[in-house]
Amino acid sequence: MSTVTLKDLKKTYANGFQAIHGIDMEIRDGEFIVIVGPSGCGKSTLLRMIAGLETITDGELMIDDRRVNQVEPGKRDIAMVFQNYALYPHMSVYDNMAYGLKIRKKSTEEIAQQVNRAADILEIGALLDRKPSQLSGGQRQRVAMGRAIVRDPKVFLFDEPLSNLDAKLRVQMRIEIRKLQRALKTTAIYVTHDQVEAMTLADRLIVMNGGLPEQIGSPMELYDRPATTFVAGFIGSPAMNFIPVRVDKKGATFPSGQNLNFSVPSGHENVLLGIRPEDIEITTPDLADLTLKVSVIEPLGADSLIYGSCEGMKEDLVVRVRDKATVQEEETFSVRFNQQKLHYFDPTTNSRLP
Amino acid sequence: MQKQVRFDNKVLPYLLVAPQVLITIIFFIWPASQSVYQSFLVEDPFGLSSEFVWFANFEELFADSTYLDAFGRTLLFSFSTAFLAISMALFLAIMADRVIRGETLYKTFLIWPYAVAPALAGVLWFLMFNPTIGVIGFGLNALGYEWNHYLNGWQAMVLVIVASAWKQISYNFIFFLAGLQSIPKPLIEAAAIDGAGPAHRFKTIIFPLLSPTTFFLLVVNLVYAFFETFPVIHATTQGGPAKATEILVYKVFNDGFIGLDLGGSAAQSVILMIIVSGLTVFQFKYVEKKVTY
Repeated sequence: MSTVTLKDLKKTYANGFQAIHGIDMEIRDGEFIVIVGPSGCGKSTLLRMIAGLETITDGELMIDDRRVNQVEPGKRDIAMVFQNYALYPHMSVYDNMAYGLKIRKKSTEEIAQQVNRAADILEIGALLDRKPSQLSGGQRQRVAMGRAIVRDPKVFLFDEPLSNLDAKLRVQMRIEIRKLQRALKTTAIYVTHDQVEAMTLADRLIVMNGGLPEQIGSPMELYDRPATTFVAGFIGSPAMNFIPVRVDKKGATFPSGQNLNFSVPSGHENVLLGIRPEDIEITTPDLADLTLKVSVIEPLGADSLIYGSCEGMKEDLVVRVRDKATVQEEETFSVRFNQQKLHYFDPTTNSRLP
Repeated sequence: MQKQVRFDNKVLPYLLVAPQVLITIIFFIWPASQSVYQSFLVEDPFGLSSEFVWFANFEELFADSTYLDAFGRTLLFSFSTAFLAISMALFLAIMADRVIRGETLYKTFLIWPYAVAPALAGVLWFLMFNPTIGVIGFGLNALGYEWNHYLNGWQAMVLVIVASAWKQISYNFIFFLAGLQSIPKPLIEAAAIDGAGPAHRFKTIIFPLLSPTTFFLLVVNLVYAFFETFPVIHATTQGGPAKATEILVYKVFNDGFIGLDLGGSAAQSVILMIIVSGLTVFQFKYVEKKVTY
């Protein structure tokens, strides 16, 4: 039952490297926030600043109405799940979960009750006597979660908790984390580099790049209206296609010199047209927006990805079609863009044009 | 995957282990069996003849109060030395682990004493504690504490313990530092988030995780204090004053080479051999199994 407020939060390391360039955000009570970005974008640093494991150079961090910039990690009433779980290897699962409660001088009965409750929620009741070395990856993950929920903290922090699991388990745990957070209604901040995890878990997402938040919003807001080319390229898989478009008095043209069949925002000589692979469809030549030549086809089962090259463009355009691809490699084919799903960006500032 | 190396040639494997076996036989098995044999003999005062007496030498030893005193003294000396060397090394390793600037410099200086020969280490401390010219001895006397290890047996004992432990600190330090650095940082961070302060973290996380290292070092240090501190004592107190620092290894030397009681001295060294074997077996058995997590 807590809010977290970040006011112009900044971090500069002793060697002068500025990891976080100022972040403002208000995290509402019970909200699931995911911080996503490529490696080195500062997302883990930001989480560690909230945890108190990194000092805050400038700005303010509030949990509820309390300023916690200088507060020890143990006194912030937070719990964190680490990437490699960080279970205490010499303690049983029970002792791992009870550790924080013992420090808080809870009575033995109360500790037992809370550990058992958490163990029931996570279905690890049978493992309480084991040592972490006797557990599988998924079980360790559960114990790490148990250690976090047993204290009933104000905020959960997750630092890429699923990246050490195999693909199948990752999907399963992702759903469980979501359910658990919904049931407990505890504010959660989750760091990942995986955009699928980010999209599926988040109430709101922060896409970070180079120590700055590029955009903050709900997953679908970010998907439907990415504020920058970075967000557009990062959210959604495969990534959005970008096509540089020239605009002059006669109209707008593709790099191939072909004219566009639709209007682009005025007032710019060059614009970057963004279109997602799923918003392009194969059509007949008379309805074509663009003609492509197939370079590679990737069948994924439910869909296929067709990589098509276009004259004047360095990168292939990706087209996503249902079922099997109806075209062959080396063939040319015509595509039409979904007019409602076009995105325009300024190529100099990389920000979205209205 | 095949773990064992297989040789096609039948002779080659034996040739390969031969040098090590030979060294063990010449420098250990042979002298050891000689001393076992000798421990059953009593020589006449002129060394011209000897008589086979079975366990008489051993019986005599355990009836001898000076031997039993030396035994007790050795235990006190060894455990004190091991405790001092281990605790100081752990303290220094924790400090060195926290240092950020000039890390290598500190570590190099802390490891250096290990290169000092035991006899030199002894002499070094002997001089520093010298009641008239030594820095520490003089200082203690100036402060009103009467220090004279030439006369006071307990003070002499403190001196040899300090000198022996000092030499061993570097060795222990390396192990503790490596042990500390192998503890994953997220564990400490997790404990911090769980609300544990630095002292509690040390008690509940760091020290238990170092316990295999600590146990290994305890055995190694005990063996060191039992058997390898001869030069320290020989170069400083020579077992005195009044046998106050005469530990078992020193007594072997004293009785055998000064007292010329070869049989009795051999019996003592056989007992020492049994102790070191026991310690080694203990170490292999428990370091591998019990003290793990």
